[in-house]
Amino acid sequence: MKGGSLTYAADTEPVSFDIHVSPQDITGAIQRNVFDSLISQDTAGEFHPWLASSWEIAKDLKSYTFTLREDVKFTDGTAFDAEAVKVNFDRIADPKTKSQLAASLLGPYAGSDVLGTHKIKVRFKEPFAPFLQAASTAYLGFYSPKAIKASGAVFGAGGPAQVGTGPFVVESYSKGQSLVLKRNPAYVWPPKTSANAGPAHLDKLTIRFLPEASVRVGALNSGQIDLAAAVQPTDIKAVEANPALKLLRSDHPGGNYSLYLNVSKAPFSDEKVRKAVQHALNVDLNVKSLYFGQYKRAWSPLSPSTPGYDASLENSVPHDPVKAGKLLDEAGWTARDSEGYRTKDGKRLVVEWPLLPAQYVRDQRNILGQAFQAELKKVGIQANRPQNDIGTYTAQVYGGKADIADYSWGRFEPDVLWLLFNSANHATKGGQNATFAKDADIDSWTNAGRKTLDREVRAELYGKVQKRVIDLALAIPIYTGTNALGYGKHVEGLVTDANTWPSFHNVWTTKR
Amino acid sequence: MIAVLIRRAASALAVLLGAATLAFAALELIPGDKVAALLGPATSASEQVKAQIRAEYGFDRPIVVQYLHYLGRLVRGDLGDSYQLSRPVAGLLAEQLWPTAQLALAAIALAVALAVLSAVVTAGRRAGRAVATAWELAAVSLPSFWLGILLLTVFSFQLGMFPVVGGEGISALVLPAVTLALPIAGMLAQVLREGLEAALAQPFAVTARARGLSHTAVRVRHTLRHATVPLATLTGWLTGSLLGGAVLVETVFGRPGVGALTLQAVSNKDMPVVIGVVLLSAVVFVVISAVVDALYAVVDPRLKAG
Repeated sequence: MKGGSLTYAADTEPVSFDIHVSPQDITGAIQRNVFDSLISQDTAGEFHPWLASSWEIAKDLKSYTFTLREDVKFTDGTAFDAEAVKVNFDRIADPKTKSQLAASLLGPYAGSDVLGTHKIKVRFKEPFAPFLQAASTAYLGFYSPKAIKASGAVFGAGGPAQVGTGPFVVESYSKGQSLVLKRNPAYVWPPKTSANAGPAHLDKLTIRFLPEASVRVGALNSGQIDLAAAVQPTDIKAVEANPALKLLRSDHPGGNYSLYLNVSKAPFSDEKVRKAVQHALNVDLNVKSLYFGQYKRAWSPLSPSTPGYDASLENSVPHDPVKAGKLLDEAGWTARDSEGYRTKDGKRLVVEWPLLPAQYVRDQRNILGQAFQAELKKVGIQANRPQNDIGTYTAQVYGGKADIADYSWGRFEPDVLWLLFNSANHATKGGQNATFAKDADIDSWTNAGRKTLDREVRAELYGKVQKRVIDLALAIPIYTGTNALGYGKHVEGLVTDANTWPSFHNVWTTKR
Repeated sequence: MIAVLIRRAASALAVLLGAATLAFAALELIPGDKVAALLGPATSASEQVKAQIRAEYGFDRPIVVQYLHYLGRLVRGDLGDSYQLSRPVAGLLAEQLWPTAQLALAAIALAVALAVLSAVVTAGRRAGRAVATAWELAAVSLPSFWLGILLLTVFSFQLGMFPVVGGEGISALVLPAVTLALPIAGMLAQVLREGLEAALAQPFAVTARARGLSHTAVRVRHTLRHATVPLATLTGWLTGSLLGGAVLVETVFGRPGVGALTLQAVSNKDMPVVIGVVLLSAVVFVVISAVVDALYAVVDPRLKAG
């Protein structure tokens, strides 16, 4: 099993390699092989010891005390200890680091106390239940304090300056081309759940950046690479038809791709108009035909692979344009103008739905949007899709001037519902809630979810939030993204973690 | 001679200052908040972090102060650090320019060779001309994105001749260079043939034939030189634009280069990088136009500066 090397083609390249700074999935996915976390979370949502051998949680959920393993070393020889944890968490919280994700994962962080060489207490200003999940992500991984001192300012540039405790070490990075990782021979501290308790099997892992999807699949089919990320729905059949290849599919956790309706202004301040949109869109048909049946149609704002998902919402809202028309009539949009759009008091029923600049558009969501635009027109609603630069887009959508916003938000934790729907996290305040809803129940349920670790209580709270979001038509869930990874049959031991990222620690090759 | 050099240097400086100012103005005029553009759509950055970015990059200062500060840095030869990549811009450009230069020069050399061959052989010959014009028109109208994927599918994925992964150096250069060269060759061949045909109709060509020179000798030794001046101008301009990066070809082949860097920088409003690329292009064009002028003098002695 030991030995050999593999080439993995990634679809995007990290802009910043600094795990404490970057908000990108690809940064976390790649760096997971180089950096470890305090604890690990399995795909069922259970937490397991990793760099921390045990932990205690204060009753008020305002502090977490971790006992660390004593045999862990960074690949530059520095020992991993409580001081290293403190240095890393303090670095994330420091505004000078300009963290775009990790700092928000630390939530109301108040500081860390070193209680002993291998004992540390992490404190929060408020009760913070999502911390265990956050602590299991690659973004709260650990750099060697020596490396932070020497080159923390240039971690973003990537390369061997990045020193962690993980199963692989960065050997070289060539921007626009590839990243080469080699085995960390001293690695004996994987999570308890790992199938491999020792160092990685592979000598070398090359991550080649190939942004063009058809080129990745062509290179995979012809054996030039061993694994290809993000196989597109159009290419899945071709990969499945090749007897030398396998496919590993995993659904994205977190917030599904949904349309978020801005309830703070007309016309979506009227619940009837929102419900009309809910019934007007033929989500089933459009998702099936655009993605060749490869993506699941979504029924809840939360993805089915996320803990706390409420399956009772499935098939709850039928496609019914007649009902949509009735609802619009009831809302007073009864007259029609010469172009067939509904009007009220001489004003046309128009909604603004800004389109992201082309380089940010994923999964052909612009095409999906065109189909929805046509269906809205059928019931008499004009949907405009202006496409501007990202600054203008942000000002419109996050400034509350748009009527519809569309996005997904990946995270293996139902607390994502707090991000998306709690009124304390309105987009105007720099948050992710572009519905601008201010529902007292949703606020109290999502706040309560942050203050308890009881899984049944959390499931009940988050179930109620999901139902309320659909009842009030705050968001219209569209689909759950799937990460399809194509790879050769000679690649063994490949699994994806809760974030759908491939983990290479236990991967080996039968090709020599 | 010295006066000519001084004049050239002065105009080069004016071009650079103009380019720097235009680049700065263009980036300022793009609507939207700079910090929001820097952070992109999927960010959880707090207001505190945004304020930190504003202060650190000086976005909170008056625009005139920002401009003067920026010019001051340029004069000292400091292109600044990339906002996104936490690296000095000069180093980034130097690193990304090499793969771009390799690709551009290989593509131009190939295109010129193809164009000269196609034009010299077919100029003034009815049958050959029709065939050549047909392929040239087809080549000019091929989208490079499509051509690149087609070449990859046939020569890399089917025949396994040029791997897209692992192959570095010459073999990795062939397919992208051909992709870039074909449309350019088509364009250059058309221009060259027109020049050749005009020269062939001139009395000196008839005289040369009358002296007993073969058709081929007249074409290669006499008329080609006449037709080279417009070819040199066009080739110079094309080389300059290729050195600015070939985004589509870089994307298809997963190659590093100035094009990919520029695309990333523009979409993230990474001003220091955008400005670095603009200045680099200005320098490239200044150098190339000097080289082309020198070439004119070699090709056509009448143009030699008195």
